[in-house]
Amino acid sequence: MSPYNFKKIAVVPSAKDFIDIILSKTQRKTPTVVHKQYKITRIRAFYMRKVKFSQQSFHDRLTQILTEFPKLDDVHPFYADLMNVLYDKDHYKLALGQLNTARHLIDNVAKDYVRLLKYGDSLYRCKQLKRAALGRMATIMKRQASNLTYLEQVRQHLARLPSVDPYTRTILICDKTICSVTYWVFPNVGKSSFINKITRADVEVQPYAFTTKSLYVGHTDYKYLRWQVIDTPGILDHPLEERNVIEMQAVTALAHLRACILYFIDLSEQCGHALEEQVKLFDSIKPLFANKPLIVVANKTDILKLDELSADRRAVLKEIEENKDLLLLEMSTVTDEGVMEVKTNACEKLLGYRVDQKMRTKKVDGILNRLHVAIPKPRDQKPRPPCIPESVLAKKQAQSASNKRKLERDIELEEGDDYVLDLKKHYADIPEEERYDIIPEIWEGHNIADYIDPDIFDKLEELEKEEEIREQTGMYVVPKIELDDTMREIKKLALQIRHKKAIIKDEARINKQSRKPVMPRTSGAKVRDRSVSKLREDMSNLGVDMSHTDNANFTKTKQKYRAVATPTKRARMDTSENASTSLIRARSHSKPPRNEQGVKNIAVNEKRNWLKLLTGRLVRKSRKWVLKERPIDLLVTKCRKHLFTGKRGIGKTDRR
Amino acid sequence: MALRIQFENNNEIGVFAKLTNAYCLVGIGGSENFYSTFEGELGETIPVVHTSLAGCRIIGRMCVGNKNGLLVPNTTFDTELQHIRNAVPDSVKVQRVEERLSALGNVIACNDYVALVHPDLDRETEEIIADTLKVEVFRQTIASNVLVGSYCVLSNQGGLLHPNTSIVDQEELSSLLQVPLVAGTVNRGGELVGAGLVVNDWCAFAGMDTTSTELTVIESVFRLNEAAPSSITTDMRASLIESMS
Repeated sequence: MSPYNFKKIAVVPSAKDFIDIILSKTQRKTPTVVHKQYKITRIRAFYMRKVKFSQQSFHDRLTQILTEFPKLDDVHPFYADLMNVLYDKDHYKLALGQLNTARHLIDNVAKDYVRLLKYGDSLYRCKQLKRAALGRMATIMKRQASNLTYLEQVRQHLARLPSVDPYTRTILICDKTICSVTYWVFPNVGKSSFINKITRADVEVQPYAFTTKSLYVGHTDYKYLRWQVIDTPGILDHPLEERNVIEMQAVTALAHLRACILYFIDLSEQCGHALEEQVKLFDSIKPLFANKPLIVVANKTDILKLDELSADRRAVLKEIEENKDLLLLEMSTVTDEGVMEVKTNACEKLLGYRVDQKMRTKKVDGILNRLHVAIPKPRDQKPRPPCIPESVLAKKQAQSASNKRKLERDIELEEGDDYVLDLKKHYADIPEEERYDIIPEIWEGHNIADYIDPDIFDKLEELEKEEEIREQTGMYVVPKIELDDTMREIKKLALQIRHKKAIIKDEARINKQSRKPVMPRTSGAKVRDRSVSKLREDMSNLGVDMSHTDNANFTKTKQKYRAVATPTKRARMDTSENASTSLIRARSHSKPPRNEQGVKNIAVNEKRNWLKLLTGRLVRKSRKWVLKERPIDLLVTKCRKHLFTGKRGIGKTDRR
Repeated sequence: MALRIQFENNNEIGVFAKLTNAYCLVGIGGSENFYSTFEGELGETIPVVHTSLAGCRIIGRMCVGNKNGLLVPNTTFDTELQHIRNAVPDSVKVQRVEERLSALGNVIACNDYVALVHPDLDRETEEIIADTLKVEVFRQTIASNVLVGSYCVLSNQGGLLHPNTSIVDQEELSSLLQVPLVAGTVNRGGELVGAGLVVNDWCAFAGMDTTSTELTVIESVFRLNEAAPSSITTDMRASLIESMS
């Protein structure tokens, strides 16, 4: 990934916006209320704070701009050159330098005015000093208007630059294509289709604005690495001496990339340029790419092959062919012939070149240990063969592509939420019917694992054998017993008794299930045993004479009265039943309903109701009329004038 | 054959799995994706076993084993031990170890013949390792790290060490282990190779972040493809230098 991210630079506001932003920020973030009665130190501190705050805001914002914009001396020379071409190095540096100066000036202004504010002797003077300070700061920023607009334009342009990583492995494609319309015979099929062939087919090769021309950047893979492929239509397609300064600088920017250069020539001359012309251009731009891997690619071999060239034409290429640093390859993007060879050769050459360069630096020393394979010296005769199962080797040889095994994942998907992880499925040694037996961890207070014996199965087998022998010897055979008639009868009876017992038991259980209070068997029903007659009888039984006791005291039993409570609800008035039953009447039943109270009779009442209705209507109607015709009457009469005049204190106007 | 996998969005797959030539233990996760990658690759050859140790799923760091045996820490539950015994082949001896350094996977690295152990490991544990796993035991450090299990991965065909291991150390370890060794990384420059990679003699699983360069180094040093380990110094040298510096 590219180490530069020019898209992240924050927006540079225009001078006017800049000032507005800072001043409103000062207003928002500092206290706003001050009174002249305050102590003078407090007033001074209030204004000093404002001055300092706006200075700090200006300072921070300018610092942000200064740090975010790339320093031309720090960026890769590719970008430095490119920015020089695009934005003019001097202008760029000057703009940033002036912002830096403005920052210092603002700092100084603030320092001066803070010092002056220490001598401010009234709120008014302090305020004027603050005004002057902020005004001077704003003026300084206003003078930077042109620089700020310039930097904003630069920022917008930088964000749209192609994301070329100048450090990575790059293949640069150039050729002599047509730049003037008159020569335009065939579109430049060769280059762009080459870049499409070797970069990922589904990745769209994107044009990026590069100076006045476009740059196409794509990516490809080779030897586990990513390669950047740059196509430069219209940048390297005419001789150096024909270029203007800007074009020249664009080319030098490209020359900074550590790239492999592919120079495409068209042997068939269908592009509209003679072979000599193409070779001449190659010679002219070659010095730019000195000490870099260079490959000349003869394209369109489907039309004309290198060997098919006539001798005199071949002589033109002689110099290239004889040069040992150069490589001449043939390719046809139409038939795909030689495309991969070109890519491989280019990548290999560049890789070798870059590795050579890196080996000369100290960077590689740190990773040398990772480029080493420690091969063991045999220390004994013991063989240590790898342990690869036969099935794996067989599978490797068969290369069976189809995977028919049903995976746990498939089962999970099939069963969805019902899926339960089956841990015991693969216990190959345990027969299927025993595999899922539930074995508790703790059983009757004992840890089962403690009792697992390695030869538990042997012991079991032994026991079973013993058991078998016992069975064979007839140890468990039940002796047959002959029964006579009496015994049989007894048995029959016993069976009946058992049945009966069982039924009784069941019944008892069912009866017990009822939750009613149970009367203990020992206690009888509660009997009223204290009565006059009983007393009399008892006494007479005992021999007491009870003949003249009809008026005796014990016969005067106290009569029971019903407790009479005041009714919780007012009883109905009219029902005669109610009146007769209730012992105490709470109140008379003559009370009329409330709306009839105080009215002599119903007729009067009716009349009253009717009047009320009528007056209500009239009043409402008249109010409506007043509101409509002379609304002021209603309002004015509400309060007198003296209620409106004068200074008001606490309370509503109409309540005073 | 080397595969890239993840355990629940975690690249440290060596923590959740233990792969040997005779069995493969896999931690119990929320989904069967992780398990089924192993199952698909190995299921026909060796048992791939869901398991937990002491209720944890970081089984790769807690146990150590090879085709001869498996050592688990003494915190392992009886039921888990029984489950493992039931699931792995009978030829594998499963043994509980009373050891203070209970993350056995971090302190022991072994293949089927040799084991490197933490210098402070108990003498008794060392004996148990030698008996159960049937290996020669060497007390070693890797790039002056005592956690040999975390910083190296071994199979019978090769080994990957901590990236800072010096060439001298590599040679020494290689003569002890009798396999070719390479210092390398997994998971895009990760030093914890033990956590990012599990291997046996015929396949390897690395974390999802592992780059193609790293994976090629792994494949060649563990002889998982046709290339010999020496190809790292020949064919791949340029790519390695390019990608690492």
